[in-house]
Amino acid sequence: MKTAVNRLRGIERDIVQAPQPGDAVPYYEPQSNEIAVFEAAYKKRLPVMLKGPTGCGKTRFLEYMAFQLKRPLVTVSCHEDLTSSDLVGRFLLEGAETVWQDGPLTRAVKVGAICYLDEIVEARTDSTVVIHSLTDHRRKLTIEKKGQEIEAHEDFMLVISYNPGYQTVLKDLKPSTKQRFIAIHFDFPAEDIERKIVINEAPGIGPETAYQLVAAGRKARLLKDHGLEEASSTRALVYAANMINAGLDPVAACQVAMVNPITDDEELAEALMEVVQAHFGA
Amino acid sequence: MADTSKEQAIGELLLQLSDASPVACREVEQVLPVIRPHGAEVTFAWVMACRTLLDYDREAGRAFIRGSREAEKVSEIVLQWTEQALQFALWRNTRRALEGFMANLPRAYGSLGHAGQRRWAEIGFLWCERQVESGCAYFTTPVVDLSGRQGITGIEQVTQPAEELFETRKLLLATYLAGAIRVRNLLGPRAILPWATRGADIMQTARARGEAYFRLESEESLALLLEQLPGFRLAERNRLLSMLLDVWYGHGFELKESSWSPEKGRPFVETDGRGMYFPAVMPGRDEAVLSALHAAGHMRFGTFDRLAMKELFGEAGVDFPEPGPVSWAPLYARYSDDALRFQLIFDLCEDLRVDCRIQQLVPNYLQRLLAAARSGARHPETGVYYGLAVRSIEQSLAAARNGGVRDDRFAPLLRSAATVADAWRIAAAIYSKDDLPRVSDLEAFHAAYLPGRGPNVTRLVHPQQRQDQRQQTQSGAEGEREPQEQGEEESEAPQNAENGDQQDGGKQQEITGISESSDASAQAAGRSGERRQTDAGGEKGVPYPEWDYRESRYKRNWSWVQEKKLAESNITETHRLMNQYAMALKRLKKAIQAQKPTRLAPRLRQLDGEDMDLNAVVSYVVEKQAGRSPKPAIYRRREMRQREIAVTLLADMSTSIMQHLPEGGGRLVDRVRAGVLLFAESMEEVGDAYSIAGFCSKYRDHVSYYAIKDFDEPLSHEVRSQIGGMSGRLATRMGAAIRHATAGFEDIESRRRLLLILSDGRPEDYDDGGDRRYLHEDTRMAVKEAVAKGVHPFCITVDTMANQYLPQIFGRGHYLVLDHINSLPNKLPEIYFRLRR
Repeated sequence: MKTAVNRLRGIERDIVQAPQPGDAVPYYEPQSNEIAVFEAAYKKRLPVMLKGPTGCGKTRFLEYMAFQLKRPLVTVSCHEDLTSSDLVGRFLLEGAETVWQDGPLTRAVKVGAICYLDEIVEARTDSTVVIHSLTDHRRKLTIEKKGQEIEAHEDFMLVISYNPGYQTVLKDLKPSTKQRFIAIHFDFPAEDIERKIVINEAPGIGPETAYQLVAAGRKARLLKDHGLEEASSTRALVYAANMINAGLDPVAACQVAMVNPITDDEELAEALMEVVQAHFGA
Repeated sequence: MADTSKEQAIGELLLQLSDASPVACREVEQVLPVIRPHGAEVTFAWVMACRTLLDYDREAGRAFIRGSREAEKVSEIVLQWTEQALQFALWRNTRRALEGFMANLPRAYGSLGHAGQRRWAEIGFLWCERQVESGCAYFTTPVVDLSGRQGITGIEQVTQPAEELFETRKLLLATYLAGAIRVRNLLGPRAILPWATRGADIMQTARARGEAYFRLESEESLALLLEQLPGFRLAERNRLLSMLLDVWYGHGFELKESSWSPEKGRPFVETDGRGMYFPAVMPGRDEAVLSALHAAGHMRFGTFDRLAMKELFGEAGVDFPEPGPVSWAPLYARYSDDALRFQLIFDLCEDLRVDCRIQQLVPNYLQRLLAAARSGARHPETGVYYGLAVRSIEQSLAAARNGGVRDDRFAPLLRSAATVADAWRIAAAIYSKDDLPRVSDLEAFHAAYLPGRGPNVTRLVHPQQRQDQRQQTQSGAEGEREPQEQGEEESEAPQNAENGDQQDGGKQQEITGISESSDASAQAAGRSGERRQTDAGGEKGVPYPEWDYRESRYKRNWSWVQEKKLAESNITETHRLMNQYAMALKRLKKAIQAQKPTRLAPRLRQLDGEDMDLNAVVSYVVEKQAGRSPKPAIYRRREMRQREIAVTLLADMSTSIMQHLPEGGGRLVDRVRAGVLLFAESMEEVGDAYSIAGFCSKYRDHVSYYAIKDFDEPLSHEVRSQIGGMSGRLATRMGAAIRHATAGFEDIESRRRLLLILSDGRPEDYDDGGDRRYLHEDTRMAVKEAVAKGVHPFCITVDTMANQYLPQIFGRGHYLVLDHINSLPNKLPEIYFRLRR
């Protein structure tokens, strides 16, 4: 209830929020044994790495797991200018005083949240080093600037995501970093599951349309080898379904949600549209 | 009174005629009753003309007399054409022209009217005046062909460009006319002038070549025509089709250009069971897409399945030729002159079978086919076949909906277990009922096919084993690599190994490469005095170990790399490429500039610099206040960062890059040169350190490494011209080249080192003993060594089969297979930017 009201108002919230009893369960459709793996890793507090293409449900899976485990989830989207202070924290001036402000990682470590570093390879290598001591038996975070070391809360868990692809050849994680994680591999869900997801996420979509949409999306993914950096994701399918629900013609909806966003290559777009049109019989 | 004197004169004339030639006189008398009603004066003039023309040339006169009856009948006048005919007597040797004139007269009056006829004749006389042969050509060409059913304007459209070209280039109508009419019919009147101007230019330099050009027989003439032909071009849209085939069929097909040319009639996509042959131009995109899907369907759904074909041949009582390619011709032999009819019926059945199977793969395929078919034109002679094909599709669609088939003749074809032999049986049954019309005209035959379909049996086919097909989609290049039978016009492109004449060229180049004494080196005059090979270990080169997987050990000093300068250079080629890709380069540079601000971001948190780094200052002050002693790194510097990335582009320069592209449009090496050139130009814009090299090999002790540009060398005129002079020779010992390139990074202080390998085939050398795995494994080890030394190898290949071996060598995600070679020049820099992000 509270979250519903907050959503309406766009209320400011702290990033560390434990799931509340009244909250709606995030929708997640398991693809294979990932829930069991994650639960086991959580039981032993081992850090987890989620691998997989964009839009296949990594973040949603984590939201779901955080809810199931009743832990707050702190998400940090990494970018190339992300420094270790952005993660750990920094001194701020307040009047004539200086105040230390914890970064998201430090806060998660203290309260025992699940800290999710999204697209970790994007961050500078020096900032990824700070997580090393958190990911082995030490479970400690060193705050160099304060000359402190924080013992992680017993419920703290670190999760990173990582999208292997040829665009990251030079930006691969170091093997020494990689091997500290339990890795769960994600891919786009199986056809029937994906259909379920689309119907669930875009309520009101006809089963026939959902069928065509998913079939078209799966075919479109086959073009990945032809210069698509990212394939049409499950998220894109859900967007398309929502656009159809909003009254847009299915072909147009697919074009704006599944084709235009992923490519500027006209020929590729043409081929994608062929696939869409074939499925919708236009 | 005058009439009677005229009658007398006519009588006299006839007498004289019968003296001279009784036969001619008899002919005149036979026609006279038709002419007489026009009055004595007209009759006299006509008889006079007969006599003049007979005197001029006996045959010409008789042609005039014989043509007169019909001419009078259509025109209902006499004097006009009689006077025109007399004109021919003004020139020599116009007999053929006059014959043509008389033969065409009725048509000219009929289709052009009296005024049009006069204009038609005038144009012809003008040409007779200039050159009799041209006049002949003009008058002997049927009026309908000349006018293209456009009346007199049509004739003027064709002759007008000739007038201009006669003035400027002395082009004669006789040379030009037949070709021009065809060009007009194919491309419209506007295309004539540019086409003919080009031809006239050729004519002036080489007569025979020019004549071939105008007969539309020469390559350049056809190329020019194809270029202007409207429609869907394979060469440009090849990528779209291969993407679609990949999507629907799950793997690529070999697309080649067929030898179709515009005058061969309707363009069809053909297949021989192994590859697809595309005409250069298809009328429309829809038809092209349908055709591609359909032809691929034939291959996928067993039209060329060996067992089914055997059954079919057994059914028809014809021996199945084994092994080798199979011709369908014997099957049709027994239908002799009715073969076309049977072929249409058989194709109809087989196409229906295949299309129904495609429907299961490609949703709404039949609906699309049907929509295209309904808007298609029907030929009066074969519209029945067309209609039957449309009906059969409609019924199979209805059957899919309701489960019942009304026309049970086709019902067995809709089962998924049906084979090409079933189609044959059903076709034979339909044929024997004999209710479809005979087909004799080729144009009508072609028109009977629905859009996307076409005659299935035009080529020798390579029967497929089902097993093979399955292997092909997964791993086996083996099926492909079986000894190749030569098909009609295909020849397997040489893959790296020795093959015919190119090999010789390669050897010669090799010699110049080593000795550097031939005149080729004179072309590269002005090269800098730098001689890297001297400091690179003398004549024998630098030794590298090679990995032998059979013994699981390195063979020490096994491969020898000689570093040298490329002897050939070709600045003209470089300029040509720069022009050709000017637009692409502009786009690339723009894209690079757009990225620049982030890339050339000032270095932050420096101990000294020209500007304050505000963020650093704040955190410095804050930390100071907090009682810590931070480093005073509070400056920013607007200087380029210490070179972050260094990249070497290593191009495979083996023989195989000299092959012509299967779909035409030049050779692979052209794209390689363009790619390297665009890469170099955009690297200049980026500012990253880069070097360019090429390699080839012959035996383990002769691995040539051509250093085209070194890291610290500027992109000079000389480097550019060397890129233009890149060519292929010998084989591909990739491992040694990778090791040598890796060694080249040793003095480079960069955090990231990238080795981009541009290849077109698997590692191979003459001395690998046919054991492909040996060099594969060695290359894999070389890649591993490079990674260990902090160099990231990344392979870009244009070999579509590369998915079978590159993952093992470079590892997943460390290679890229370009789906189309034409994209290489643009893609190469793009890939680099993507990698360096």
